[in-house]
Amino acid sequence: MSTVLAHLLLVDDEQQILRVLKPALAAAGYAVATAETGHEAMSYLAGEACDVVILDLGLPDMDGKEVISRIREWSETPILVLSARDLEHEKIAALDLGADDFINKPFAVGELLARIRAALRGRERRFSTHAVFKSGDLEVNFATRRVTLQGYEVRLTPREYDLLKALARYGGRVVTHRQLIAAVWGPATQVDAQFVRVLVAQLRQKIEEEPSAPLILLTEPGVGYRLTPEDEV
Amino acid sequence: MAREWTFRRIAPPRGVWRYVAALAIIILSTLVAETIYRTFETDRLSMVFLAGVLVTAVTLGQGPAYFGAAAAFIIYDIYLVEPRFEFTMTSAEDFLVLIVFLAVAMLTGRLAGRVREAQSSAEARARTAGALFRASEEFSASDNEDAVRQALAERIAEAGRGQAVVLYDGRSWSAPPGLSPPEALSDLAGRPVDGGATVREAGWRLRHLRADGAVLGLAVWRLTPTDGRMADNPADDERLVDVLVDMAGAAIARSRLAEEQAEAEARARTEQLRNALLSSISHDLRTPLAAILASATSLREFGDRFDAEVREDLTLTIQEEAERLNRFVGNLLNMTKLESGALTIEGVSFGVAEVVGRVVQRVRRRAGARELVSHFTPDDLAALGDPILTEQALANIVENAVRFAPNGGRIDILGRRDAGRVVIDVIDQGPGVPDDELRMIFEKFYRSPATSTNQQGTGLGLSITRGLVEAMGGEVSARGRGDGRPGLVVSVTLPGAQA
Repeated sequence: MSTVLAHLLLVDDEQQILRVLKPALAAAGYAVATAETGHEAMSYLAGEACDVVILDLGLPDMDGKEVISRIREWSETPILVLSARDLEHEKIAALDLGADDFINKPFAVGELLARIRAALRGRERRFSTHAVFKSGDLEVNFATRRVTLQGYEVRLTPREYDLLKALARYGGRVVTHRQLIAAVWGPATQVDAQFVRVLVAQLRQKIEEEPSAPLILLTEPGVGYRLTPEDEV
Repeated sequence: MAREWTFRRIAPPRGVWRYVAALAIIILSTLVAETIYRTFETDRLSMVFLAGVLVTAVTLGQGPAYFGAAAAFIIYDIYLVEPRFEFTMTSAEDFLVLIVFLAVAMLTGRLAGRVREAQSSAEARARTAGALFRASEEFSASDNEDAVRQALAERIAEAGRGQAVVLYDGRSWSAPPGLSPPEALSDLAGRPVDGGATVREAGWRLRHLRADGAVLGLAVWRLTPTDGRMADNPADDERLVDVLVDMAGAAIARSRLAEEQAEAEARARTEQLRNALLSSISHDLRTPLAAILASATSLREFGDRFDAEVREDLTLTIQEEAERLNRFVGNLLNMTKLESGALTIEGVSFGVAEVVGRVVQRVRRRAGARELVSHFTPDDLAALGDPILTEQALANIVENAVRFAPNGGRIDILGRRDAGRVVIDVIDQGPGVPDDELRMIFEKFYRSPATSTNQQGTGLGLSITRGLVEAMGGEVSARGRGDGRPGLVVSVTLPGAQA
């Protein structure tokens, strides 16, 4: 506990949430700063180094989405959106504006910690390219384009491989339908989200033990998909 | 010959008095002529008779003018022309007099007739225009269809100088008031008449008010029979009434459209409110749940790494948030019960101070640095109702006051007796509510736009309070403090009980 894993900024106006998360995140080894308004958060970020911002979308002074776009004007700090809102379009809008991931309230602390780790990994990935992605029995080698399950090679179509690669690149963070379409079919393509669902179903047949109850390739309803990263299975 | 010809013209029985009047004027002329004859001893008096014919023609119209001319000639001939008191047609002069009389009668009568016609039709036009103008003004000013029907009855009665009744849906609007139409016509009210045509029956006329194919009422009227002199064209009156009825039909259709539009807007607002409530409920349920779940999972995950203080704080969070959820769910249930009418009220006598004491206890923990002060006159003030529901109703008001009052502020709860009823005032030092919103704060989902930006809340609390209090036969109201300082006073009035 002597070394700090990362510096977090927790932005939420709900006292009871701050009261719980501060000691929990501190116990997990993070240094936690808090802000109760969007302006407070931005003035903190302007002066202090921060590794991940955990941001509630419902703030008293301004819309959480606006906080995201303002931070993104000058900072690449990973943003993890924390919201009681169950409106999919809010989440998608937040992700489109540059948020890295989201977590729905209510959540277990373990889940939040996993998202924070994924966000931190995503930040590292910007600087170093990992050649291999692992999730449980699944291993993807980007250099050789080889995919193995329990050591046995899995034969994927080029599209299935592109999809898996796109998800693996985000390493446990959510990937929206639009981002997946851009990665697999090309950025300018207009493809229905239905195509993504079909392709995901095909891929699950090959990499999941129980395709109807996936453990590796998870669905975020209405938003997109995420892969369970290596350390979470 | 002249006589026969003249009497044929008398034929129309209507307006016989006009001929009597013509005769009277000529007889008057004769009397004048007699006077002049006796005074001045002159027999050149045809001018006096000519004047009589002229007056007759100007005042009574053409027919009486000819009649007057003939009468004047005969009397003149018998009375003044030698041999006197004997009708003779001997000289050319006699003929000349007759011809001049007849010519004057014809020309003047025709001229005067035209002037009279023009005058009476101008009057009729003015009346028609006035009636139409007032009708269109009234129709467009009234936004409810009953007012249009009443205005229509009055305008028809005025325009036709008669009586009118408008029937619709078993009700009637009449002018003059209290008038009822013949039964045979009332029976027609519900029945459509082809093409909206006027139907005549026993001196009454009727016409359906219609617009867009729908029958919007039945106008029934009887006009005063037009007198002989002011011979308005009855067809004109009828056309005027037709126009009035059609205008009223259009006005009613328009007011219905306006009503429908208002309803549609109200529906849209309700929909908006419902969405706001849904997202608000979602937030108000999830936030305590998030705190509870995060606390519980933190304790499981890091329990041994937390010191005793943090552990205590997390378990306290779980308790408080669970209580908050419980209150919220309780309020939602009460709301549902109130709306479905499933709430049964037990009217018992209870001590107000005790109930307020429990409310203060409940709220105090969340009141922070806000001071809660209660005072009762008399001490044993007792009300009639359900003490548990009263507690809930008051708790919502006090919680609202706590939510909006500044830290360090004071909330007064005063109980008093007022004309046999019990009034409980909750007085806060918050920002208050603008006068025009005071009534709305008890509406479901209503949150004042001025103060709600950074306040959590469903907009349910005060509406539940109103529902509960009204179910107990009481009422709630809100007003400003009245002492110039910001703040809100919410009053609950309940039936009083003997202490």
